[in-house]
Amino acid sequence: MSGILDVLRRPDFFELLRQHVLLSVAALLIGIAIALPVALVVRNTALGAALAVNVGNIGRAVPSLAILALCQPFLGFGFDTALVALTALAIPPILINASTGLREVSTDVIDAARGMGHSGGQVLTLIQLPIAAPVVFAGIRTSAVQVVASATLATFIGGGGLGELIVEGTQLNDTAILLAGSFSVAVLAIITEVGFGALEKVFTPKGLKIAQKRGR
Amino acid sequence: MSSLALLLQDLSSIEDPRLVEWDWISENFWEDIVPAIQGHIYLSFVSVAIALAISLPTGVLVSRYRKAYPPVTFVTGLLYSIPSLALFGILISIPGITIGPTPVIIALVAYSLLILIRNTVAGLDAVPAETIDAARGMGLTSSQILFKVELPLALPVIVAGIRIATVTIIGIATIGAYIAGGGLGKMIFDGINRGFPTMIITGAVLATALAIVADLLLLALERYLRPWARRRRT
Amino acid sequence: MKNRTKLIRAIPALALALLAACGNVGDSGGSGPSSEEGGGGPTITIGSKNFTEQYVLGELYAQALEANGFNVEKKLDLGSAALADKALQNGQIDMYPEYTGTSIVEIFKQEQTPGTPEATYQKAKELYAQREPADTMLTPAPFNNTYGIFVRKQVAEENDLKTLADLAEASPKLAFVLFSEFKTRQDGYPNMQKNYPAFDFGDFVIVNSIGGPIYQGVLQGEGDAGVGFTTDSQLASDELVVMEDPKSIWPFYYPAPVVRSDVLEKSPKMEGVLNEVSASLDAETMRELNAQVDIEQEDPEDVASEYLEEKGIVD
Repeated sequence: MSGILDVLRRPDFFELLRQHVLLSVAALLIGIAIALPVALVVRNTALGAALAVNVGNIGRAVPSLAILALCQPFLGFGFDTALVALTALAIPPILINASTGLREVSTDVIDAARGMGHSGGQVLTLIQLPIAAPVVFAGIRTSAVQVVASATLATFIGGGGLGELIVEGTQLNDTAILLAGSFSVAVLAIITEVGFGALEKVFTPKGLKIAQKRGR
Repeated sequence: MSSLALLLQDLSSIEDPRLVEWDWISENFWEDIVPAIQGHIYLSFVSVAIALAISLPTGVLVSRYRKAYPPVTFVTGLLYSIPSLALFGILISIPGITIGPTPVIIALVAYSLLILIRNTVAGLDAVPAETIDAARGMGLTSSQILFKVELPLALPVIVAGIRIATVTIIGIATIGAYIAGGGLGKMIFDGINRGFPTMIITGAVLATALAIVADLLLLALERYLRPWARRRRT
Repeated sequence: MKNRTKLIRAIPALALALLAACGNVGDSGGSGPSSEEGGGGPTITIGSKNFTEQYVLGELYAQALEANGFNVEKKLDLGSAALADKALQNGQIDMYPEYTGTSIVEIFKQEQTPGTPEATYQKAKELYAQREPADTMLTPAPFNNTYGIFVRKQVAEENDLKTLADLAEASPKLAFVLFSEFKTRQDGYPNMQKNYPAFDFGDFVIVNSIGGPIYQGVLQGEGDAGVGFTTDSQLASDELVVMEDPKSIWPFYYPAPVVRSDVLEKSPKMEGVLNEVSASLDAETMRELNAQVDIEQEDPEDVASEYLEEKGIVD
């Protein structure tokens, strides 16, 4: 146990942690910046939304290691390459959830809103987005956890991150280093899962929360 | 931004022998590539099978005794959150567990428990109470009801879970090659080590193809079992 | 719902069928089929670490043994020295090629290595023989594969770098590309710092693979300096300059098969076969074989069999 704490106190531990968090946050933000606009654009066309969801589904089936490894021959080793790969991994869950979430706001509700005189833009902001918000957030949450987990693999293409400790520990057959790396990544992933879960609740409009409770 | 320059350089020469050497692929197809695919299917299949063997009974039990559901979800959820490389690391630190396929299979099973148990419970929950009552009224015993009524009706949802679990497992199995688990991941890692893009691309593309094929096959099965399905939200 | 019930029952049956079909897949699914036609001889499991030279050495020894009546199972790609040794200790493998210096520093954790290649070998041999279960380190191949610290040509020109001392001076503003093990191993970066205290690289780029990717990293500019092996062919490139080592700070690393003593006792014939392979190698040849894998992208298995045929060790 003390061995693990020693590893955590190493000067490079904080640097690895910083790299890991930076990679994850950047990939997630860029992923959102790409996926959300696309979902918004296709929200009103059945074909567009279906296309987006299908692309997303194919993207979700691609193994994380495969994407990281595939970027390497083209982009070389390093932080940048890992970022590109992780961003590609971040997009699918957000794209799928945002597209279906916005599409499935019931047409009755939209009609009612139009009937009340709201413009298209108002329908979007006042109705579609708030109702779709929980689903979109669930997608962001899934994506976040996936990115944090996959960032562990960045070490294989020179991207740094906590995965490096796991690899180092494996190579040196040093259990303390190995466990220090494994536990810190696990804790980081769990914090992400729980944190985003809480955020999701914050972004669920009150009316929906009540409806969800009743539905149970 | 050197990576961008490199990318542009490479994109203009996709057929460049440097990137994909078809000779290597045809030469080594039976010797290296096919065993890798076999190994990968083996890992994935065994893991899904074992996971199902654990999850189905657990799911049935937990749907009956709901108090057990939250702790089960908690534990399996915890296992699911641990990133794969980390879980591999933890497993091989346990004395008695050596590197090889065993820790990989243990980890893969652990990852799929959450989704499989959750979908088993959800599937069983969706069986209408009236149907069960009718069956009871016809004189069927509890276990007959379970096997002849509930499980068949729950099957589409369970298969949906199997589908997600399988795709996830195929993906994570690639990482298992790092602890000598075999499979297509080995080609990816070797390719990176030897600076040999052909191996990387072959391994990565095949692993992706395997995942997509499994996804589509199971999706077809899911749709077949649920002819009344409307478009699902994931 | 009859077809549904049948479906449920079919799943375990299918599972068993597929399991049986794929059941022959054992260990590292990609290193080629293990030969079963070596005659009724005993089965030897050969391991290796995970870089090119190790793959080639592993294949050389494996194929030579096969040609001499042994059944060989290959478990190449065991990761690092520590992992390979662990596998040796718990019987997962019967032998693997290790470097004399590496055994002393990395496996037996000794601070000092002897000053001559011969003494290094003797010390390593002794240490292996003394432990439980005992191992025998056979006669090493007659070449030294030590570390070569190199920089990109422009970097060498800009900073006028010729020796390790020069590099140490310039290190604070340079990035060093290395593999994890090298950073913490006694004979790695700490050894450089011990002999040239000025070493203090501004940045470390850890690439967790040995060989190819490190050279790529330096050439592409991810780092300015890197660590390679003297039998790597990439080290001879015009784009790179290897730093001179007037103080000879590195231990001697001569490769030799390390075999479990109990296995060797049961099959003493092994020694002769393995020694013949080791004796035939030298630095130039090793570099040539490594180049065939790294630069010409040939399979270590093919490279090894071509070489053995050429030398008449296998027909």
